[in-house]
Amino acid sequence: MDWNLILENSLKGFIGINAVYFAIAALGLNVQFGYTGLLNFGQAGFMACGAYGLGMTAHYFDISFWWGIPLGILFSVVLGLLMGIPTLRLRADYLAIVTIASAEIIRLVVRSVKFKTYFGGSDGINGFSSSFRALGNDFGINEADQYGFWPFKFTGRELWVLIVGWLIVAVFGFVVYKLMKSPWGRVLKAIREDEDAVKSLGKNVYSYKMQSLILGGVIGTVSGMIFALDRGSVQPDNYSRDLTFYILTALVLGGVAKVSGSIVGSMMFWGLFTFMDNFLRQVAKDPVSIGNVTIMKSTQVGQLNFILIGITLILLMVFRPQGMFGNRKEMAFDGR
Amino acid sequence: MEVSISKTIGGRCLVLLIALGSVLGFSFGSAKAADDGYSIRIQVRDQVRSDDGKADNQPLSGVKITVTNANGEIVGVGLTDAEGVVIVSVPSRADYIVSLNEQTLPSGKKLDAKTPAMQNILTDSFVTKTKVVTYFTGGSQTVSQSGFERVAQRISDGIRLGLILAMCSVGLSLIFGTTGLTNFAHGEMVTFGGIATFVFNVTGLTFLGFLSFIPGIRPDGTFHIFWAAPLGIILGGGFGWALNNRIFGPLRRRGVGLVTQMVLTVGLSIALRNFFLSRFEGRTRPFSDFSLQRSWDLGPVNITPRDFVVSSLSLLILVVTALGLRFTRLGKATRAVSDNPDLASATGIDSEKVIRLVWIIGGALAAAGGVFRGLDEQVSFDMGGRLLFLLFAGITLGGLGSAFGALVGGFVVGVMVEVSSLVVPTELKTAPALLVLILVLLLRPQGILGRAQRVG
Repeated sequence: MDWNLILENSLKGFIGINAVYFAIAALGLNVQFGYTGLLNFGQAGFMACGAYGLGMTAHYFDISFWWGIPLGILFSVVLGLLMGIPTLRLRADYLAIVTIASAEIIRLVVRSVKFKTYFGGSDGINGFSSSFRALGNDFGINEADQYGFWPFKFTGRELWVLIVGWLIVAVFGFVVYKLMKSPWGRVLKAIREDEDAVKSLGKNVYSYKMQSLILGGVIGTVSGMIFALDRGSVQPDNYSRDLTFYILTALVLGGVAKVSGSIVGSMMFWGLFTFMDNFLRQVAKDPVSIGNVTIMKSTQVGQLNFILIGITLILLMVFRPQGMFGNRKEMAFDGR
Repeated sequence: MEVSISKTIGGRCLVLLIALGSVLGFSFGSAKAADDGYSIRIQVRDQVRSDDGKADNQPLSGVKITVTNANGEIVGVGLTDAEGVVIVSVPSRADYIVSLNEQTLPSGKKLDAKTPAMQNILTDSFVTKTKVVTYFTGGSQTVSQSGFERVAQRISDGIRLGLILAMCSVGLSLIFGTTGLTNFAHGEMVTFGGIATFVFNVTGLTFLGFLSFIPGIRPDGTFHIFWAAPLGIILGGGFGWALNNRIFGPLRRRGVGLVTQMVLTVGLSIALRNFFLSRFEGRTRPFSDFSLQRSWDLGPVNITPRDFVVSSLSLLILVVTALGLRFTRLGKATRAVSDNPDLASATGIDSEKVIRLVWIIGGALAAAGGVFRGLDEQVSFDMGGRLLFLLFAGITLGGLGSAFGALVGGFVVGVMVEVSSLVVPTELKTAPALLVLILVLLLRPQGILGRAQRVG
């Protein structure tokens, strides 16, 4: 058992690019779910909007990826309206159903053979991040060089994405924090607690909910862009229902209705995930068996890890629904 | 005080998961063909044409099939079995070439021009982990169907899917109606039924081999599907009972919010699906009975006897469910609780008892849906998860919380999905369901059979 390697990888996972894009997506989900009480189970759809916005500008329109940013945001605003208009006047469950369905349909459409010319089918779109990486070189971070010290050793390419990513996390964290302290944010929280009371104060609840849904969605979109830029590719099957669920897990792990919760939750999620993954992989180098029954083969490590994520989410909901840093009162809303 | 209760619930969750793990874990330990990668399923069929131009397919056995990779290296060789099928495992999702040795075809049989002996399989064509290649001998296999025939065939397929969806959604809708909970793990309850039946039917429980004096139970502990299916359905009901008794019941008594419970079902769904994946592996697998049948030709539509039995049984189960809800005391009580829980308990109905019943029946019906879906499309670890959004569309269309609404809504969505594949590409045939979902919410959010409630 190579503990040094496990520790090194886990610490890297703790601040790595996965934690970055999870943190951004979780911030967006927090605006919707944590602060407003909107059950958006389609955050992956918003992320796909961002990623495909970038990918399509390069692949289909053949223009600089910078144009992909407004395009992706446009996509996600349209998606937010599509999800919100039919559901936000109704009970919370309807939004959950429509968002989970929309995200799934988006995935099916972008991976379909029919629309392959636009979205690249199941292979997705590749090779559009070169100008983004070139920008890193302009800032003096050489792609091929190694930077950092144990255990935080990154290539210049990784470092550049990480710097941009954590800057975006900081900016969005600050913006969300300030917004939620503002009168606007207080209305959102009030809607979560008692919609009718807010309505009786003359606020347009529908409009506030829509703003929250779209703001959270746009933040999710940016997360999808970072994800795509890091990989240099967009793969439709990355944006499955499970992605939303894992982000939700990261969010409630850290704590709902807290900016720090989304960020630390995502770091913890990936720190723990990487730890378990590395640990179990070393354990399962040879198949583990009790008697003649094989308990775990190396190919089953990934699944075991996801089972643990599911169990973590269940136990969190039973013991500490507000997460690490959350306030229990803020997770007491009913959704009815 | 609260902590100690939490501990019991948490402990119960764990006990439940461990129990589940040990039950299924052991049975899969001996699963045969334990490769977990991709495979190519090659079928060879002979077409017999009658004078009136109708086609009939017969499997051809003993035909040699070779699969090579893009570099021309041989990946697998096999002879087709009695059902005309050979399954070749391939290392990864990549391009392959399947070739059929024409010398090994029975004398007098020639490959149809539409299916040449060499066929390229592209990476993209692995939509699931199993790619199916079918060779035909005899006459031309694609008779251009008339428009009417295509519609009729789609409707017939749609009815089958619709019945299955209706069956699965009753539980989802009633659980919602009686407890207010949207259960995101309902798809996994469907998969549970399919896989539990698969365990009895294909994997076999060796220690039950001594029962082989009973017709339909084989000495290796595998059960004929006529035994395996009811057993799977009973287990499904038990699973529903366990979920309510061990997890959701205690949470309700503690007054845990619905949103918290809903997120919990998400966790349950992740855990169960990956558990199924790790034990059942990513392939789709058929039950051992009725996996390949000659189809009946009923005028414009072709259906296999299996499909016919599946449809009739589903219909029977649904009618029984509907009658039960309509006329029995418990059924009436269920609808009363679903309609207005407070009023129902005020009239002396034991709502906890009703909720328990709803979980059991819902679990059993979901499992039945899983079994029938497995007969229809084979069993896989996410067969239910993939239906989840259709189930949601169905119960929303019918009216959330209404049992009859779920029956009607599920059925309509099923038919619509299949029929829409006449217009939209098959890979996108579920997309119109979303459209319906959105239209219903815009125009009649209470659904077809729901009653309008004042919301805000």
